[in-house]
Amino acid sequence: MRILFIIAFCCNDERGFAENMVEIKNLTKYYGTHPAVKDISFTVGDHEVLGFLGPNGAGKSTTMNMITGCLPSTSGTVLVDGYDISKDPIEVKKRIGYLPEIPPVYPDMRVREYLTFAAGLKGVARNDRQKQVENAMERLHITDVQKRIIGNLSKGYRQRVGFAMALLGSPKFLILDEPTVGLDPTQVMEVRRLIQDLAREHTIIFSTHILAEVTAVCERVVIINKGQIRAEDTIANLEASVGGDLKLCLKVEGEITKVTDLIRNTDGVISVDEVEFDSQGVNAFTVTVASEAVRKPLMSRLIAEDCMVLEITTVKSSLEDVFVKLTSSSRAQSREDALEELGKELDAQREAEEAAKKAGSAEQDKTSANEEKEAED
Amino acid sequence: MFALYKKEVQSYFCSPFAYVVSALFLMVFSLSFINGISNMDSNVLKFSFSNIFYNSFFYFIFLIPLLTMRTFAEERKSKTETIWLSAPITIPQVVFAKFFAVATVFLLMMVLSLFFPLIALWHGSVIGSSLVCGYLGFFLWSLVCIAIGVMMSALTDNPILAAVFGEAAMIAVIFLDNFTQSDLIQSLPVVAKIFGWFSTETRYGAFSQGLFSLADLMFFITITLVVLIWTIIIIEKRRWSRG
Repeated sequence: MRILFIIAFCCNDERGFAENMVEIKNLTKYYGTHPAVKDISFTVGDHEVLGFLGPNGAGKSTTMNMITGCLPSTSGTVLVDGYDISKDPIEVKKRIGYLPEIPPVYPDMRVREYLTFAAGLKGVARNDRQKQVENAMERLHITDVQKRIIGNLSKGYRQRVGFAMALLGSPKFLILDEPTVGLDPTQVMEVRRLIQDLAREHTIIFSTHILAEVTAVCERVVIINKGQIRAEDTIANLEASVGGDLKLCLKVEGEITKVTDLIRNTDGVISVDEVEFDSQGVNAFTVTVASEAVRKPLMSRLIAEDCMVLEITTVKSSLEDVFVKLTSSSRAQSREDALEELGKELDAQREAEEAAKKAGSAEQDKTSANEEKEAED
Repeated sequence: MFALYKKEVQSYFCSPFAYVVSALFLMVFSLSFINGISNMDSNVLKFSFSNIFYNSFFYFIFLIPLLTMRTFAEERKSKTETIWLSAPITIPQVVFAKFFAVATVFLLMMVLSLFFPLIALWHGSVIGSSLVCGYLGFFLWSLVCIAIGVMMSALTDNPILAAVFGEAAMIAVIFLDNFTQSDLIQSLPVVAKIFGWFSTETRYGAFSQGLFSLADLMFFITITLVVLIWTIIIIEKRRWSRG
């Protein structure tokens, strides 16, 4: 028994316990002096679907290229299944299926021919190739275009051919760089379903800037901006982290300044966060309020002032808020500034009006006094 | 690696490319052949295939960049290189697969040109050793040019530019010997000697006379390998800086 144990330990190779996962440690990439990705670390567990979120140019594709070994990193490592990408690139690449942002398809090849070639390139055994190609084509519903030349296919089909290519060689990890870009809504739904389906057999990292996709498919997200990780958590936790304030969305017909002023000066309203044009004469106001009870006074006040309230809804804080908060701090800042300015302007206007009213009434007093005097005379 | 090689060879024959270049090659070859026959003196009833090779090579060398221009430039332009960058194969394997694919296409063209010695054999006699060595020298010289063409293609993402660079390099290859013979270079013996080391024409000369020399064979193979290794380095370097 003891000997068996020893043998078991000896057989256990030096890769250690880091199996079935992707581990990214302090990954950094500089283009010249410009840092594209700075010190990124995260791990992806077995059979997990990780959403990789960020605005355009945040470093998503760069990171994915580094994980797949297309691009060497300036510093830091990527461990896939315990293998280091810089030391055992071949072992790592055997375990990864990669769909880049632009599917790497040769326009002069036929679909089947291309997939068979890709299977060969990925080292799929000769007698297994046709079977794998057929499985992949069936999964992506491209069996009926297998004899067509890729250059003649639409963007959606090309994307699917690229996706089928990523599935060849049954890799443990799938890395999908914006898999739904350029697809029509039905195809987007199909791809999402496919990703959920694939999660049973594969560990998936996929990048996107479409938030609905992440909420639909992933359990956990990593948000990056300007090459740095801004958040890494489950969607529920992230939503909870910004879900403190209660927000209402009101669609009101009436003059924008007047309505803003009215809303701002209702008791229980903390702030007016956003004003958006909805349609002719109608604006949508996002308002932070202290409690749901504010609805009633707010409504009655607006109606009393002849402002039609067309719609009033509670805004559920979502991943979108997290995303906006974390990625566009400068933009949000400028919007807040603008609102503050609008508020100041309104205050100033009101003060001016009040002053004018006072002056008007004083003048009126004066004139009436004069009139009285004249009458006396 | 074999999958990539097969795909590359197929891509030449799936497009009109290989056919057009083969046709041009055979045309150049037949013109030299006709020229050789028509210039035959009634006293000396023989002509050398080596001369035909040399003449046709002089024109054909400028067709090689057309064969090689797409190898890497096209992939970089259409961003299809990620398929082999993310596949479990190494960059040297990719470079060699692509190089061998072009070499295979070229070899097929040479097989087509066997038609001319056959005609000659039908109506007269052919000196075997001269023919075999001529073919070998021609093929080895072309391998060097193909390797240079592949390297030029790896330098840019525009196939046309790759062809232009390739043509410039071919001019350098073919005129290096003439340049070395010029008075200016001959007045600087050290420079002339160094240029002489790299002159492919003199090396081909030995082959064309029906002489097989191991040194010349090694020269062509070494130059080809050195250029291909440069290509590997260029691609690795570019991998570091791609976005």
